[in-house]
Amino acid sequence: MAAESILGARDVQKAFGGIQAVDRCTLTVSPQSITGLIGPNGAGKSTLFNIIAGLYRPDGGEIWFNGTRIDGLPPYDIVGLGLTKTWQIPHELRNLTVLENLVLSAKGNSGERLLNLFLRPGRVRRDEKRWRARAREVLGLTQLDGLANEHAKALSGGQKKLLELARALMSDPSLVLLDEPVAGVNPVLVGSLMDLIEKLRQEGRTFFLIEHDMNVVMNRCDRVIVMHQGRKLAEGSPENVRMDPLVIESYLGG
Amino acid sequence: MAIDTGLLTNILFYVSISIIFAILALGFNIQWGYTGLFNAGIAGFFLIGAYVAAIAITQPAPPIVIAGFPVYPGHLGGYQLPFVGGVLLAMVAAGAVAALLALPMLRLRADYLAIGTIAFAEILRVFAINLETLTGGTIGIILIPRPIEFEPPDPFLNAMTIVGIGGTILLALLLVLQFIGESPWGRVLRATREDEEATMALGKNTFRYKLQAFALGGAIMGLAGALFAVTLGYVEPSISFAPAVTFSVWVMVIVGGAGNNRGAIFGAFLIYGMEWGSVQLKDFAPEALKDSIFYIRLIIVGVLLILLVLFRPEGVFREKKRVLR
Repeated sequence: MAAESILGARDVQKAFGGIQAVDRCTLTVSPQSITGLIGPNGAGKSTLFNIIAGLYRPDGGEIWFNGTRIDGLPPYDIVGLGLTKTWQIPHELRNLTVLENLVLSAKGNSGERLLNLFLRPGRVRRDEKRWRARAREVLGLTQLDGLANEHAKALSGGQKKLLELARALMSDPSLVLLDEPVAGVNPVLVGSLMDLIEKLRQEGRTFFLIEHDMNVVMNRCDRVIVMHQGRKLAEGSPENVRMDPLVIESYLGG
Repeated sequence: MAIDTGLLTNILFYVSISIIFAILALGFNIQWGYTGLFNAGIAGFFLIGAYVAAIAITQPAPPIVIAGFPVYPGHLGGYQLPFVGGVLLAMVAAGAVAALLALPMLRLRADYLAIGTIAFAEILRVFAINLETLTGGTIGIILIPRPIEFEPPDPFLNAMTIVGIGGTILLALLLVLQFIGESPWGRVLRATREDEEATMALGKNTFRYKLQAFALGGAIMGLAGALFAVTLGYVEPSISFAPAVTFSVWVMVIVGGAGNNRGAIFGAFLIYGMEWGSVQLKDFAPEALKDSIFYIRLIIVGVLLILLVLFRPEGVFREKKRVLR
């Protein structure tokens, strides 16, 4: 894989029964970019994200992240390497509070190991305190601060989307896969959410996002990849992709 | 002034058996209430604990043959370990079996896990009945020494001792389970219960947590078994470890409130109290009801459960919201 990419997929394949959801898909994502992934429903975008995150095992192909081959690794090891994904349909931990959802998403909290509770109580307390403080900051960033001690199930659809992003940030990822981060979020919040993503990108993080909101894709992404029938159809700057006749025909419409 | 120790002894017996059920309920609560693992083989881990403790602490028991007739097949044992040794061995054995069983079974989805574990418990029970030279067969293991032997034997003092030891164990267990259950470790268990896939995608090796919770719950059930063996002074396989024991523990945790340790203990005292109470009431019941009072209890428990599931599905002591500062 090219050294200048943070994420690379080569010939990735995945079939469900007779449906070839991802069909020898090859693509790369540049570090510190906001890369969009668009395409019609059923193009295989979410499936590809699930494969990259380790939730589905690919039938074939290779996936590289920061110089490490990650296909076949379990999801928690991939998170450990610095790659986190959010869900298109929010997977909030319903009967945990918002703050608990966030603190849980931190990496390396020593109190999550049973023996440490007895052998290293001081470290456990310090870690927990530190991650709770960090969680409060992230709640502020994502405008969820008023809801810290509410059950996650009590949030609205849009707030659950924010919670998805907040949880992803807690693991301090270098690459975040966002599956439709602004679907169901009100327009004002979409603006501030994308401003936040832009700011985080400038701090050095990379975002790879699936989105149907063309405003977001065209104005906020540096690069856009178009998927169709499980493969990459086109790739380029938002302007170029918008003019591509193949893309217009398969997705954007005439 | 004479004290009616008969009634007191009887009440102490109720408390001691409730304590044993409370320990079983705490073991099931860490597995199901916290982690979402629906173990239908509670009786199996209870059995392992009871038999391992019995074998560890009893006198040698060779087969008894009278006039050519085998009267008692004998059983493995004669190690005469102290009570504490029997308890520890029982916990280690039940916990180890739970861990081994978990390796294949925790890959199953909820309902298949229940089917697999109930089969496991029944297979164990059939082994306990039929592996006569190991377990004493249908007679079981008798003459299990009490933690403290009184001379002359005194049922009241004996019951006091058992309640004292059991109560201490229960309290210590509650403290430990509160500590680890409400820790960051326990939070990962609850997350796994809510959504295992999402928890994995948040960086947690959920299988490891499920394995730990299942093995820990199994060890706790083994502890209950060891206490049961010394409380009764014998173990027998047919009734004590039947599936009904598992079902009772479910009801206790559901009524008390899944995910709440105090609720599990409350449920145990309440549900076993109804069973014990129905036995006590039998003598006072009108003639027409005497024979049916046990069935009336089952009806009451059933109706209670239905009402609870309809109107307060989270149990009497609902799981508390964890407010973090």
